Amino acid sequence: MTIQSEAKNQSKIAKRITSKLTAKKLFASLFTLVIGLIITIVLIQLQGYQAIPTMIEGLKYSLGDPTQIARTLAWGLPLCVASLGVALAFRSGMFNLGAEGQIYAGALATAVAGIYIGPLFPGVHIAIVTLAGAAAGALIAAGLGWLRAVWGVDEVLSTLLSNYIVILFGAYLVTNQLRDPSRQSGTTRTVQDSSMFNEIMPKTGLTSAIYVVVALALAVWWLSERSVIGYRWRMTGESPSFAAAVGINVKSARISSMAVSGALAGIAGSLLVSASQGRYWTEIGSGIGWDAVLIALIGRARILPTLGWVAIYTVMRSSARGIEQVSAVPAELSLVLIAAIIVIAAARPGVFTQVDQLRQRYFPRKGA
Amino acid sequence: MDFFDAFFASGMRFTTPILLAALGGLLTAWTRDLNVGLEGAMIFGAFFGVAIGSATGAWLPAVILTLLMGAFFGLVFGFIVAVLKVNVFVAGIALNVLGAGGTVYLLRSLYGVKGTLSSDTVESIPKIDIPIIGDIPIIGGIFSGHTVLTYLCWFLVILTGLAVRHSVIVRRLKASGEYPEALSTAGGSVLSMRIFAQVWCFSLCALAGVQLSLGQLSLFTEGMTSGLGFVALAAVIFSRGRVVWLAAISLVFGMANAAAIVIPQDILPPQFAQMMPYVVALVGLIVLAKTSKEAAIRISTPVLDQR
Repeated sequence: MTIQSEAKNQSKIAKRITSKLTAKKLFASLFTLVIGLIITIVLIQLQGYQAIPTMIEGLKYSLGDPTQIARTLAWGLPLCVASLGVALAFRSGMFNLGAEGQIYAGALATAVAGIYIGPLFPGVHIAIVTLAGAAAGALIAAGLGWLRAVWGVDEVLSTLLSNYIVILFGAYLVTNQLRDPSRQSGTTRTVQDSSMFNEIMPKTGLTSAIYVVVALALAVWWLSERSVIGYRWRMTGESPSFAAAVGINVKSARISSMAVSGALAGIAGSLLVSASQGRYWTEIGSGIGWDAVLIALIGRARILPTLGWVAIYTVMRSSARGIEQVSAVPAELSLVLIAAIIVIAAARPGVFTQVDQLRQRYFPRKGA
Repeated sequence: MDFFDAFFASGMRFTTPILLAALGGLLTAWTRDLNVGLEGAMIFGAFFGVAIGSATGAWLPAVILTLLMGAFFGLVFGFIVAVLKVNVFVAGIALNVLGAGGTVYLLRSLYGVKGTLSSDTVESIPKIDIPIIGDIPIIGGIFSGHTVLTYLCWFLVILTGLAVRHSVIVRRLKASGEYPEALSTAGGSVLSMRIFAQVWCFSLCALAGVQLSLGQLSLFTEGMTSGLGFVALAAVIFSRGRVVWLAAISLVFGMANAAAIVIPQDILPPQFAQMMPYVVALVGLIVLAKTSKEAAIRISTPVLDQR
């Protein structure tokens, strides 16, 4: 056998293995989606509605025509950025559960920069407010990352607690110094027009922020999967002691990955102001930081699966809104579902092992 | 004197849910399955306390049925974590989101209301006034005029403390976390210990939730636990598995919460006052990490990038 044919053979085997792996992964996602679908049907039927027609109504609301697609997309943009941020931190072993707080911080900083700076040339002003949001999120996350890296302060708990501190601090500012005197308590004034992204499709809320989000997604993918820094972060996440042994600066990897994660969450908050609401108010984040944490967990902190799940969840959430309009099924359906899906996805290997064991016990296969 | 009276009385009141949840979390810390979902379990407890209370019209069945429901869901959670081998961190985070979303879902689909569930038929848990002690200033506020759950949680502190010293079950729980092989060699079941810890944890979290919703106001509002579950989690981590420390730390958090109520608004804005328990917990976490020589309990986070 010549060397060439051997090499060919080997590459064939490698291909077969990878195709088998891909099939397995696809099957896993399919399994999760099917169970998720069954839960949806049961929940809708329990409310006394025909499940399938109701779900089709919901899908029409989220993806029925270009206007609806644009609306769904517009809502998904901040979530996308936040999820990427959380995934990036998870990947380097930093469990940043403070995305919610960092989103609020980013939104607050953006609102302040949008109100008090300018009016400027729109592009410049948008850049300034977005950077302000990114900086606010990054500062908080990097601070907590520093505490973890240098003093060993558990980042899971510190980021959890930071959420409440940041959100309450924001609430304090908007009921006092930043409050819009002409409105009810709890909101700021609207930001100046030059700090807002323009709509690219009228009356859909879809703004030119989508270009920023696409660029960020590409950049994050490159950073995580192709760059040297991303490699160091991944090593730190998989095994800090190994990373330290091969000369990676674990401390700086931890701090910098947290900083970038916080910056992305901050930008997500910034988009909530500059691409949709136009002002800061006490409940602007509406839990998307938590959605982002779940999505990053389901995507196992990998960039492409995370993006895929962002798309699925965005459609789910938008459809749930549609379902709420035609039935009495609350829109929180999507939250219940995503929480169920993550447990199903994580339980799948365990379920299969259990089923296998039961089968072995009651229907033992000969020779096995 | 009235100031201190009110301060200590509300301090004891606020300590109750934190301490109950923390006592629940303690067992899961022993089995090394520290449950991050205390918050989610608590809010379900708060919701079902009011829901069952409005259906039955009495507080006792509400407390008992919610407790049983907590135990049942603890069984489910324990099965998911110990048998299906779902990472407890992932399951806990999912539980928190399910708690926030699920209670709102139930609120809207069962009662068709947004925000707050209250009804005239809901009876709040009665306060127990102890005759002579109740009249003494300060001490009266500490010992008298609380719900049965407050007394229960301090009874449980003593019970757990005694169990640590004298019982086999606590050793088995700890062994199932620290040396599972040793436990199974000695004939104990690691699996049942891990599931038992979750059942216990959920039962107490359910009670903590009931205390929040029926202990004072007899109503449920969306997101009413507002992070208290995480404060309890902090207490579990700070205590490093020791019951006395757990009680003391929960008391500190409860008092911080009470201070927020008692201090007048013109001295401290209400938002800063509400922030107090979280700030105390965060500062405590930092001090603990900086000063302690032994490693604190780490929340068992998963390694995500395997496949």
